[in-house]
Amino acid sequence: MSAHESEWTLRRLSAGELAAAEAARVRAHAATCAACGATLRGIEKDQALFEAEVPFERFEAGVERAVQRQRRSESFRVPPRRWVATTVAMAASVLVVFLARPLLSPSMHGRLNRLKGGAVAELRIGGGLDPQREARIDAPEALARGERVMLGFRVEQLRYVAAVSVDAIGEVTPLHPESGQGLPVRPDPYMLWLPQSWELTGSGAERVVLVLSDEPLSVESVMDAARRAFQAADGDVEHMPLLDVPGEQTHWVLLKP
Amino acid sequence: MLRELYAKYGGSVLGRCRYLLKDATRAEDAMHDVFARALTQGEDFRAESSPLTWLMKIATNHCLNVLRSERAGWRQWFERDAAARPEGHGGQGEMETRDLVRRLLSKVDLETQAAVVHYHVDGMTLEEVAAVLGRSVPTIRKRLERFAELGGEELRVR
Repeated sequence: MSAHESEWTLRRLSAGELAAAEAARVRAHAATCAACGATLRGIEKDQALFEAEVPFERFEAGVERAVQRQRRSESFRVPPRRWVATTVAMAASVLVVFLARPLLSPSMHGRLNRLKGGAVAELRIGGGLDPQREARIDAPEALARGERVMLGFRVEQLRYVAAVSVDAIGEVTPLHPESGQGLPVRPDPYMLWLPQSWELTGSGAERVVLVLSDEPLSVESVMDAARRAFQAADGDVEHMPLLDVPGEQTHWVLLKP
Repeated sequence: MLRELYAKYGGSVLGRCRYLLKDATRAEDAMHDVFARALTQGEDFRAESSPLTWLMKIATNHCLNVLRSERAGWRQWFERDAAARPEGHGGQGEMETRDLVRRLLSKVDLETQAAVVHYHVDGMTLEEVAAVLGRSVPTIRKRLERFAELGGEELRVR
């Protein structure tokens, strides 16, 4: 066992996180041990330098900006007006997309979005400068700044829909429904689109998962399954396995600008 | 609350972001993101018995993901090497270990990267690293030993 305290212990001491008895012991050790004393003084000096370099007001303003960014990225916002117009345009193109699908090479569309029972799932990207496009499921899809995503599906029997996203550090966000179980979706010959669109802010990869199930499914159970899958992939959001939930699921990996 | 976080943890979190990102501006942005997450995920954060552990875990993951998401991230990262301010204390030997760790990070997967940073840079014990990453001690030991094979005796797991 080392005669010295670990830097981590000294850092926790400096932050006031050690229980009183342990703090007294570690502090007494640092007072008589040159190496630990120097490490502790170094940690305290770094904090003092930080405060001199980044005044609290600047820190506070930066954190506030980051909070706003993070809140914007949280889902379930009412679509902006410009997106309403885009949605109408998209609706006109949906049938074309659907009819064209059987003519496309399977390699262009991967394997997962044609589902059992004739169901189809689609993630559509739009709202940016580039034309709308369908996200691939067999490779990560790069998003341009300002682009938003919409989720669509076609079902030939009564289905329940749930959708979540997982970001690069494993934070899971419910996309649909916001909480609890969603309403059933009746069979429809046309693509149906969730009414919301999402702008995925931040950076790195983000995985979007849409689940169509025969039974009611709470979005919380899908979120739990997504967290387990993220762990199973060793925190690699681009290589997560299928979620352990009933029903058919489609995954897309999006690379945020 | 924010002022308290600033006074207790600001230096540690910024140090971590600088160590990994090696760019003062991006490190400060990353630090803001980390503290913003603490505010927006208040419940999780307040439930954490060691805010330092929570913040350093988030900061480490966030910066590693930033590097990973950059197309030529690691290449740019090496180019920034000269401009980096070293993080840590404990004399020349430990500084060299931290520098070696940093140079080898790109060769391993994300979770090993996080384990390595917590072990070699934070000075956490194997048990502490395992608790932070939600893995068993043998799993963490195996990952660290594999990493040590890249760098030799200096990175031996004790």
